[in-house]
Amino acid sequence: MEIQNSKNIILVVDDSRTYLVVLSQILKKQGYKVETASNGKQALKSVQSTLPDLILLDIQMPEMNGYEVCQKLKADDKTREIPIIFISGLNKIIDKLKAFSLGGVDYISKPFKKEDVLARVETHLKLHRLQQQLAAQNQELQKALEELRNTQEELIQAEKMAALGQLIAGVAHEINNPLSAINSSVMTINNFLTQTITQLPEFFRSLSEEKQQAFFALLQTSLAKETLLSTKEERELKRKLISQLKNIEDADIVADTLVDMGIYDNVEEFLSLLQAPDSEIILDFAYKLSNLQRSSKTIETASQRASKVVFALKKFARFDQSGQKVEANITDGIETVLTLFHNKLKHDIEVIKHYAPLPPILCYPDELNQVWTNLIQNALQAMDYKGTLTIKVSQQDKQAFISMTDSGKGIAEEIKEKIFEPFFTTKGAGEGSGLGLDIVRKIIEKHEGNIAVESQPGKTTFTVSIPIH
Amino acid sequence: MPIILCVDDEKIILESLKQHLRQAFGKTYRYEFAESAEEAMELIEEFNEAIRVIISDWLMPGKKGDEFLIEVHKHYPQIVKIMLTGQADDAAVERAKKQANLHRCLAKPWHETEFVEALTSGLESTSRL
Repeated sequence: MEIQNSKNIILVVDDSRTYLVVLSQILKKQGYKVETASNGKQALKSVQSTLPDLILLDIQMPEMNGYEVCQKLKADDKTREIPIIFISGLNKIIDKLKAFSLGGVDYISKPFKKEDVLARVETHLKLHRLQQQLAAQNQELQKALEELRNTQEELIQAEKMAALGQLIAGVAHEINNPLSAINSSVMTINNFLTQTITQLPEFFRSLSEEKQQAFFALLQTSLAKETLLSTKEERELKRKLISQLKNIEDADIVADTLVDMGIYDNVEEFLSLLQAPDSEIILDFAYKLSNLQRSSKTIETASQRASKVVFALKKFARFDQSGQKVEANITDGIETVLTLFHNKLKHDIEVIKHYAPLPPILCYPDELNQVWTNLIQNALQAMDYKGTLTIKVSQQDKQAFISMTDSGKGIAEEIKEKIFEPFFTTKGAGEGSGLGLDIVRKIIEKHEGNIAVESQPGKTTFTVSIPIH
Repeated sequence: MPIILCVDDEKIILESLKQHLRQAFGKTYRYEFAESAEEAMELIEEFNEAIRVIISDWLMPGKKGDEFLIEVHKHYPQIVKIMLTGQADDAAVERAKKQANLHRCLAKPWHETEFVEALTSGLESTSRL
């Protein structure tokens, strides 16, 4: 007992010398360290030098009574938490009430019993200790909560960045491909300008009238052709040509060049030209000249493609600084996202669109773009990038409905409830944080809208509804 | 005639590669083109020994470039493999280097000089075999 109490300091305040001595003795005997003060001023001074764990405070004292001492202690941040037990001969209910209302934790009436004082002191010390522990734990919990919130924010941010990262990867591909094509076309044109052009006059002089005509006919045929063939079709045409060019030297090279030039129908009319001894050089010049047209055509389509992507990206990332809703067209947003997904959609995904006209809607357009991005991304992954994606936009009363249906494997009944929960994911480690749909739902809630899912194998539909104000 | 095979899901890239190859190597090689890993596999099976170099895109629908080259390497280790990427995917490049003995990885849009160097050095290494 003595050891347990040895660290606790108790300040006893009483103007009666007798009480001070008696109380000190009782407490010291129990192992408490005791400070004494015989008036209010002394008590306040003592508290400043040694902070007690508990105060036994008399009420009726000259100059400054116990109530005033209590008020002063409670007004000071340093001493506010010290439990104060009033100990007084005032035994009216009103006095006790006042004592409690000023912040006293207990009230002992004089004359007191030793056991009573000790029990109450002990109880309040214990209570205070527990309270302090609780406060400390509370603070720790609060800190932990704050850290959790920060982590969540970071995760949400990371998820956003991951989505953006995937888009950017797609976009890099979408831009680097046209750039590559532009580069090679420029190279072709430059080579023509630096090497071939100077040889042209000499070449034309060397051609007979008849050959010149045949040459231009060949060139004209090539320039008139504007079809994009698949590599398979090209090989097929080449094979056919090779068999037609039987008695021509290097038939496969000639056939290759002719297919490149778009000359594969009615090749008979050029046979005599191709059989001539200088046919190689004639074909070469025709190829290079027609190549100019193909190159400029390539540059044209490639730059159109690149600017389409850049335009979509600009629209997608129209981060609204004001944080205010703006009027925007929902369908445009979806189209923007589809443009950015182009390279993932073009091969094995059929996109079916049913867009009913919608009025512009007050919304956060970039956040809605994030919703479409997430939903389309999920749909593509669910279908393993093969299948049909149906996007419907419609209006009913004062609601806009946007639904995205994929032909993927569907969502199992038992996890349907969980898909909107944060961190729930069916994707492998590193593929998704499980925050995508949580963020989607939050964004939709921010728009006072709703998101629902219906799923069966081969048909999963996410439907978003947003009120039109 | 030795063959250089190009694989990319975009025709526009295949045509660009052809321009570069014709410019650099003229008629020394035959150039074949495939729009997917599957199509390329058919060509490899058809031409087999004649194929000296494969230039493959990385990001293609279906099989990705690194997977494709690794598979090719299992059966045709002698073919020189070059990968093209429009975006950096370090893990894939690393995989291809280790498991397909990737000769070079070129970023789109490629430079003419590095393109020619990649092919010349690759072709030299096959002729030494």
